[in-house]
Amino acid sequence: MQKLLEVDKLASGYGRIQIVRDISFSLATGECLGLFGPNGHGKSTLLKAISGLLPCWSGSIRFAGQTISNASPRKIVEAGLILVPQGNQLFPEMTVGETLRLGAFANAARAEEASNLERAYSIFPRLKERDRQQVWSLSGGERQMVAIGVGLMGNPKLLILDEPTLGLAPRIKDELCDAIGAVSKHGVPLVVVEQDVEFLLGLVDRLILIDHGSAVREFSAANSIGHDEIMDMYFGDGKVA
Amino acid sequence: MTAETVLYILVSGVVLGSLYALMAVGLALVWTTLGIFNFAHGMFITLGAYFAWTVADGNGLGWGLAAGIAFSVAALAALGCLAEAVLVRPFLKRDNLVLVAVITTLAAATFLENATLLSRGGRSKQLAPLAEGNISMFGIGLSAHEAAIVVIAPLILYSVWLFLQRTRTGSALRAIAQNQEAALLAGIPVARLYALSFALAASLAGLVGIFLGGIKFMSPSMGTDPMVKALVVVIFGGIASISGPIRAAYVIGLLEAVCIYSIGIYWTQAALFVVMIAVLMIRPTGLFGGQRA
Repeated sequence: MQKLLEVDKLASGYGRIQIVRDISFSLATGECLGLFGPNGHGKSTLLKAISGLLPCWSGSIRFAGQTISNASPRKIVEAGLILVPQGNQLFPEMTVGETLRLGAFANAARAEEASNLERAYSIFPRLKERDRQQVWSLSGGERQMVAIGVGLMGNPKLLILDEPTLGLAPRIKDELCDAIGAVSKHGVPLVVVEQDVEFLLGLVDRLILIDHGSAVREFSAANSIGHDEIMDMYFGDGKVA
Repeated sequence: MTAETVLYILVSGVVLGSLYALMAVGLALVWTTLGIFNFAHGMFITLGAYFAWTVADGNGLGWGLAAGIAFSVAALAALGCLAEAVLVRPFLKRDNLVLVAVITTLAAATFLENATLLSRGGRSKQLAPLAEGNISMFGIGLSAHEAAIVVIAPLILYSVWLFLQRTRTGSALRAIAQNQEAALLAGIPVARLYALSFALAASLAGLVGIFLGGIKFMSPSMGTDPMVKALVVVIFGGIASISGPIRAAYVIGLLEAVCIYSIGIYWTQAALFVVMIAVLMIRPTGLFGGQRA
């Protein structure tokens, strides 16, 4: 099958501190992928390296047929790979509408700006109500909706969400999970990082456990995983059968 | 104090405020987008006047003031891009960028000042005014040049504001100032916009130089004092915004005019700093900064 994203033996980190050690995985066209694992084990670092915010120390990243390791974030966005980072504060002193339109700054996204805006509003009707409100005045859940909306405005061929429900109240979290499901139903391939493995199981085709900066296990979402097994993966030695 | 005196103070305050606003906007633009203070800004003012003089004056090329202004603004925009590429870009990834930029921009200012002194000499020069003659309004007289500044400066400031608020590039510049990482992830060409903000700031500084050159004698160090004033204005108004410094510029201009009339030019500078310190003690984010929680 044609691969959309191929990460091969990637290593990266901050300054001289290595966080990601030798991660390899790939994503087939039309597939959705979930990443999970304990905090501080390299999930966000991996995503930053993929989107060009951090350098790739070694290994390679290929997206839609072109090599994007160490390309500029702008070039990666133009290629259609869009990251919605964890806890994105966005642009506090801009309105929701302005912020969404900035999401279509890339040349590749300009032509589709109107239809993508409509899509974002249909998935997040609340953003349309808040169109003229400044981002700083939004609740955490609404801000996360804007962040995903900005990602959708970039006309993504692959949308990567880093812990989209982090720190949200349960009711808002459910609402957001439904919306992320709707994004996927609109045919946007997703890579989602989440602590909530049950949510991931309902959303993605395949799950990868990231531990100590490596992809230690990979399994299909079709085979259900028990609670005990997940606990063991988080707290055990990561080598359960 | 007669009504005439009050009016006179008001007018000279607005003239000063207009010049400070043009300078402070450029400083604030670079400050908000790149997070650095550009000490070469004062030299952009000086060079604006000298470029215009070289093209316009009879002792230079003698092509007239309009050509001088056009050349000067264009040359300053190019110089702004160059300054960003040479003084800032090589150090962007360094943790101590703020400190390095202080040194590189100060070095550039010294270099450019002495280059101006060497190539144009120390003898004071004067640039032709924007408009000849005097006009009288409400019983007071002021030069047509100053009247032109009072009218043109707000128009330029308004255009800058429109550019920042209404165009895609302008809103991208504001986005970088508010959250650089999010701007990068939206595909905004951050490096290119750094150059743009430097170019825009330098052009505005060049215009200030042209305006000043028609009021005072030009010298290679003519930009230093206005830059210090602009720094006061930017800090006083709140560094995190563009509109704060504009409003603060007019407040400072009027305050300076009042001080010059009441306590004399010698103590005015000190009085301005006292006011700035007092304001910062009460409002650490500046007079117009940090209005939201």
